[in-house]
Amino acid sequence: MSTGAGALGGLRVVELVDEPVEYCGRLLAGLGADVVKLEPSDGAPSRHAGPYVDGRDGDLDASLNYWHFNVGKRSVVVRDDDTIRRICASADVVIHTLRAGEAAARGLDHEALAVQNPAVISCAITPFGLTGPWSGYLADDLVLMALGGSMAVCGYGTDDPPLACWGDQAWLTAATYGAIAVLAALEHRDRTGEGQLIDVSAHQASASMTEWHVMTYLCTGSPMARFRHPTVTARDGKQVAALIPDFLGPHVFAHLLTLLEADGVAGPLSDPAFEDPRHRARGYGELMAATQRLAERHDGEELFRLGQEAGLPWGVIRAPDEALDDRHLIARGHFVDIDGVTHSGAPILANGSPFRFDRPPPRLGEHTDEVLTELEQRA
Amino acid sequence: MVDAASPGALDGVRVLDFCRLGFGSQATMILGCLGAEVIRVESTTRPDPIRVMPPFVPEPGEVGKGFGGATLAQAQKMQSPNRGGIFYKYNTGGKRSIAVDARNPAGLDVLRRLVEQSDVVTESFAAGTLARWGLGYETLRELRPDIIYVSMCGYGHVGPDAHYVTMGPTAQALTGLTHLVGLPDREPAGWSFSYLDHVGGYLGAFGVLTALAYRRATGEGQHVDVSQLEPATALGGALLLDRTVNGRSSRRAGFPPGNRRGGAPQGAYRALGDDRWVVISCSTEAHWQAFVAALGHPTWTADARFATLASRVENADELDAFVAAWAATRDRYDVMELLQRAGVPAGAVQDAADRVERDPQLAARGHFTTLASTEVGELPLEGVPFEMSETPPRTGGTIHRGPPDLGEDCDAILRDVLDLSDAEIAGLHEAGALQ
Repeated sequence: MSTGAGALGGLRVVELVDEPVEYCGRLLAGLGADVVKLEPSDGAPSRHAGPYVDGRDGDLDASLNYWHFNVGKRSVVVRDDDTIRRICASADVVIHTLRAGEAAARGLDHEALAVQNPAVISCAITPFGLTGPWSGYLADDLVLMALGGSMAVCGYGTDDPPLACWGDQAWLTAATYGAIAVLAALEHRDRTGEGQLIDVSAHQASASMTEWHVMTYLCTGSPMARFRHPTVTARDGKQVAALIPDFLGPHVFAHLLTLLEADGVAGPLSDPAFEDPRHRARGYGELMAATQRLAERHDGEELFRLGQEAGLPWGVIRAPDEALDDRHLIARGHFVDIDGVTHSGAPILANGSPFRFDRPPPRLGEHTDEVLTELEQRA
Repeated sequence: MVDAASPGALDGVRVLDFCRLGFGSQATMILGCLGAEVIRVESTTRPDPIRVMPPFVPEPGEVGKGFGGATLAQAQKMQSPNRGGIFYKYNTGGKRSIAVDARNPAGLDVLRRLVEQSDVVTESFAAGTLARWGLGYETLRELRPDIIYVSMCGYGHVGPDAHYVTMGPTAQALTGLTHLVGLPDREPAGWSFSYLDHVGGYLGAFGVLTALAYRRATGEGQHVDVSQLEPATALGGALLLDRTVNGRSSRRAGFPPGNRRGGAPQGAYRALGDDRWVVISCSTEAHWQAFVAALGHPTWTADARFATLASRVENADELDAFVAAWAATRDRYDVMELLQRAGVPAGAVQDAADRVERDPQLAARGHFTTLASTEVGELPLEGVPFEMSETPPRTGGTIHRGPPDLGEDCDAILRDVLDLSDAEIAGLHEAGALQ
């Protein structure tokens, strides 16, 4: 891993966001950008969300939710729009979550910022985008996951409700696209000197993350039903995603059979009839049953590794924090210590420009004086 | 002013793309929409599996079969590698296709010359595959000293388990994303699709763009190693820190909380129709007041158990029973409109048909672009979910076309990029290099 300067070293980013899209600024901070987070005097909404450091419930400087999404940034408390406008106009990139009308009313719309700084890149990340009949509608992640399509297909089946993943996955997807669009706009700016307005729709981000569903509808005329991805239950009760992607080729079944026979649980699968993929397709239940017999002889972590060593794409279902113990992620240096706290680190491993956080999550307003002084010095 | 001739943000960036399946192809699709020239390097003897995987785009008048409706054997009997439906999801952006046999010396030479002319090489094979062909990172650098090489595979290229393989559900299981979809105290429901193929692809595109920025600043290329695991570890939010700071695991009773996010009423409620649902999400006092007013102040809303946000959350099951009874006789879009106009976050649970046929917002935003591919004709296809005022993304890329038929741009690419003559191209075909 590189220890040199980040790809965005020297870039000034201002973040003015109420919705949970702080991940966009986090990604840019990791690349070396100076990300200044503007907060009201009672702190960004994310400071009011838990979990908190044990024993510090409600302490605005102890929200782990805030820490996670704001590591590597500076925090500035701003009390008036005039200061906000001055800080934004001095930036290379402004990330905000203002609706079209609100941005214009506050003089923070792209046109207004560009009068002072034609090279500025504004990145608006809003629930539905800045235009269209729903652009004034309200949405949290649940609404976005409903309208976008994930919920219709995730859950236990039609007896139970459609389910959204915990967390803000639609917003996180929109935030990631925001970072991608900012990087693209920087490419254009460096070539032409021209800034621009980026308009990210979290609704569209949510709609576009659903893999095969639109194409399945277009091909078959019917949308897919809601279902639970099949798993097997290991000896220790853990669920394992024991995928048998037969469509990838005959090697998949060959790997599986070797594994099952080694444990003496292949049963009917040793019958040469199973060499025929059509027979396997009809007897898919037998494949899953044999895999379940194998599962009962091993703990979840062990079963997943047995499958992987045999060349099968198996994974044990872990709680998110259990990834902290993964030897591979540890060896890749993924988890990083920042001021004595272990965080998830680089989402990509680059051998030239690093992705790293140079600052711990800021206390509320920690950098107010520093940033306002810099602003005056530049003026 | 934006017009048809507006530039793409990545104008002039050439990507030589060895990606297959979803994860890597998602990344290069984004780059293509942003104006990069993406050349898909493919094989006619070993086509990208999603080219021959159901669901298939039906012939005119035919009804297609869904995934699972056809077996590998049926897929292998297919005459065409251009009807695999999911291929069309991941390969917009104006990608072009060339078929090259890397095991043929003349084919390998073509690939080496294409590398010399490219800014970026992307691939999603198992670690070591390109090196075995004679196109490892060191070779790429010799051919093009400032090359940006972005590899995208399950476990990445380094580390003790780099030989492990993933599909979306594998990576979702291992990173905790599967665990996070479910009702309290039941086994995880998980995702029924490969969310992490998308997320991995976003970070692949992010990696390419990062490397382009670094190259502008320093003149240097680099290798960016993207796995399907690292892009996901931040998606659980504070759950990781809850463990590293507080020692609390998210494998615990009552977690995940289904669709509850700390408000009430909050969740998916059955509406009129077969398996039709609507999400209502009141997370503030203002939402609740607006909700009560929109419903016309039915008596149950005045129940003392529902007087404050805290008491509504505490009595959420009882409250949900009233809300469910109210929603059950109403159309999901009517509920959404009524509540949205009143200031309550609400939305119909939409399936793919709803998004394509009914969603007025997606239509107004031009979310689907009708593009023609040579064999299958026109399809409404998706690109990126954002607009840019000066460099508008284009789902059909700079060539305004749907995803490519396998190898259809072979001769054009050899002419445009390598400046080969018709006779040289014919010679390569004859030598079996272009298959």
